[in-house]
Amino acid sequence: MEDIRIEHLSKDFGGFTAVDDVSLEIRSGELFSFLGPSGCGKTTLLRMIAGFEIPKTGRILIGNQDITELPPYQRQVNTIFQNYSLFPHMTLFDNVAFGLRIKRTAKMEIIEKVRYMLSLVKMEDQSSKYPDQISGGQKQRIAIARALINDPKVLLLDEPLAALDLKLRQHMLIELMNIHDAVGITFIYVTHDQGEAMSISDRVAVMSRGQIIQQGPPDDIYERPTSIFSAYFIGETNLISGEVTGIEDEYVQVKCDNGAGEFFEIDSTFHFHPNIGQKLTLSLRPEKIAVSRFKPRHQDDINILRGVIEDILYLGSHTQYIVRVGKLKFRVFSQHKRVYFDEKALDWEESVWLFWHDTDTWLIAEEVDENGRNQDFSTEAPYHRALKRSSPGSE
Amino acid sequence: MNKQHGYLNLSEQKQQKKLNLQSWILTAPAMLWLTFFFLVPYLIVIIYSFLTPDIYDIRFEFSLESYRQIFSGTYLRPFLISFRMAFLTTILCLLLAYPVAYFIARSKEKTRNTLLVFIIIPFWTNLIIRIFSWRIFLATNGVLNDILMQFGLISAPLQIMRTDLAVGLVMVYVYLPYMILPLYSVIEKIDFTLLNAAMDLGANEVKAFFRVTLPLSVTGIFAGSILVFIPALGAYLITQLVGNQKSLYIGQVITYKIKNIPRNWPMASALSLTLLLIVTLLLVGAYLLWLHNKKRKF
Ligand SMILES: Nc1ncnc2c1ncn2[C@@H]1O[C@H](COP(=O)(O)OP(=O)(O)O)[C@@H](O)[C@H]1O
Ligand SMILES: [Mg+2]
Repeated sequence: MEDIRIEHLSKDFGGFTAVDDVSLEIRSGELFSFLGPSGCGKTTLLRMIAGFEIPKTGRILIGNQDITELPPYQRQVNTIFQNYSLFPHMTLFDNVAFGLRIKRTAKMEIIEKVRYMLSLVKMEDQSSKYPDQISGGQKQRIAIARALINDPKVLLLDEPLAALDLKLRQHMLIELMNIHDAVGITFIYVTHDQGEAMSISDRVAVMSRGQIIQQGPPDDIYERPTSIFSAYFIGETNLISGEVTGIEDEYVQVKCDNGAGEFFEIDSTFHFHPNIGQKLTLSLRPEKIAVSRFKPRHQDDINILRGVIEDILYLGSHTQYIVRVGKLKFRVFSQHKRVYFDEKALDWEESVWLFWHDTDTWLIAEEVDENGRNQDFSTEAPYHRALKRSSPGSE
Repeated sequence: MNKQHGYLNLSEQKQQKKLNLQSWILTAPAMLWLTFFFLVPYLIVIIYSFLTPDIYDIRFEFSLESYRQIFSGTYLRPFLISFRMAFLTTILCLLLAYPVAYFIARSKEKTRNTLLVFIIIPFWTNLIIRIFSWRIFLATNGVLNDILMQFGLISAPLQIMRTDLAVGLVMVYVYLPYMILPLYSVIEKIDFTLLNAAMDLGANEVKAFFRVTLPLSVTGIFAGSILVFIPALGAYLITQLVGNQKSLYIGQVITYKIKNIPRNWPMASALSLTLLLIVTLLLVGAYLLWLHNKKRKF
């Protein structure tokens, strides 16, 4: 099979390292994403695979062929550019036919193939229009047809949906997956939007500062982040510093300082072997925590904390509570399911219980900086309002 | 409410009238200027071309003699050599200007402005002075010949001055900026990721240039060619100062008809109008061609 192997790839721009010793293996036919914040080197990595940048060190192989130094026009790789880059002086038909005309394909074959490609992207009835006469989503489709007509082994997509509005984005995402299924080639998808990467990818590589932080299937990265960065960048999470005080079967006890000179203990599962006394970080997703004004029945494998509600934010599909426990603040998502919680709505300053299953706490073998900040992000309590807003007319 | 589709209500009509009046007042000076110093003189030229020449002046007798001579081919040669020279100048300017404009458009923003100033600098010197310096440069005992002889590349001085070669050289030199600037302004606007896209789709650098960059700079090529071709066609100063008197260009012929005694105002007028007519036809033709291409698009 024609797997892609990237070996120790690095790229400098005048002393600034944009891509830093990246090694990857992408399987043939996979839909693989590079996910990371803007400026982390995703585009640069993609451009090296496409042939627009020559790496400082490292190799890129497709199957057994080393393509590191090949010019773009000799690679069986095609790109969907961030702004589509359709040729404004050509009709949509001519845009799609471009690659075949360069190869001097026979006229009849061109017509046939372009028709097929246009129907694949559902644009068959607009072939005589020009790019400035169609919408963003349609340009996107043409760009895909124009790339796929060349039978590439790999299709590179650089933030292809960034310019579209939300509904269209969701729609195109599904469409891209369908097209991927239809053509069966490898897609490499670049995005800074974790939602996109999560929903579309077979596997994701999380990038930061030119490096790959973690790679794996989306659920793996979400549920089992190996670094503070992946936990923080993907989805929402609560990060709590702690120290290992005991290990028992598949659980560890972690002692956490709540900042007010008090300590509480959290049980957690783990994916590495921590030592007693080791300082590390707990990641706890807001949607895994239950919040209630009634104390839950004690169970061995449940963590229970008592706190006070500091902020309530209604978000439609769920409500976000900020709950203060000592000096720590927890972000909690609660879905509106009356079947589960048939109680009066929680209010500001109300004292509540937080509880969650031990297996929902996740241990990360990294420490948050002393002042609670890493360079990339802050683990400080989420921003929230200081006071309850009085609703007009209620007083 | 009371505004019906396609009609303006009363207050809007008033406003429209006011706007019309305003625009009339604002454009009036320019209109008057053009009427008195452009339209009226042209009318005079048109009238003159149908009159009879006198030794110094004209006689007000209707005559088609000038046009008869022109259309019987008496002045075919000056027209032909003028067109040939204008054509060659345009082509040469295009070939020289394109790489320059491309280079400027692709250089960094700061360097770009500096380079553009270099292109414009020649405009700060009077045209006649610049032509005279070419005379000094090209003369039999001039700078160019001195240098070539010094290096032993030639044994006897070359006769470049007073040849069509000299006219061509100076024309290209004088009109080159008129080609560079419009080309630059078009190339500068081309999205260069389109070249990446072309190469991504299998085109090497040469194919990408001919299929993407060149077609996208067509409007610049067009504008530049018009800006060079038309003045080159009627050029008088250059042909007079560095050309030879045996092959007269149309600009020179027209001037001589007025300058030399017996004067022939009608002939000069008719020749000017013929030149104008040809240029206008060329422009209209080009415009129609452009419209035709554009229509494909909409
Ligand atoms: N041609 C270039 N010259 C200099 N710096 C560059 C160039 N291309 C990218 N960079 C820098 O490299 C870093 C990574 O850029 P990029 O790969 O575009 O990031 P991303 O696509 O993840 O947003 C950025 O800091 C950017 O400023
Ligand atoms: Mg990018």
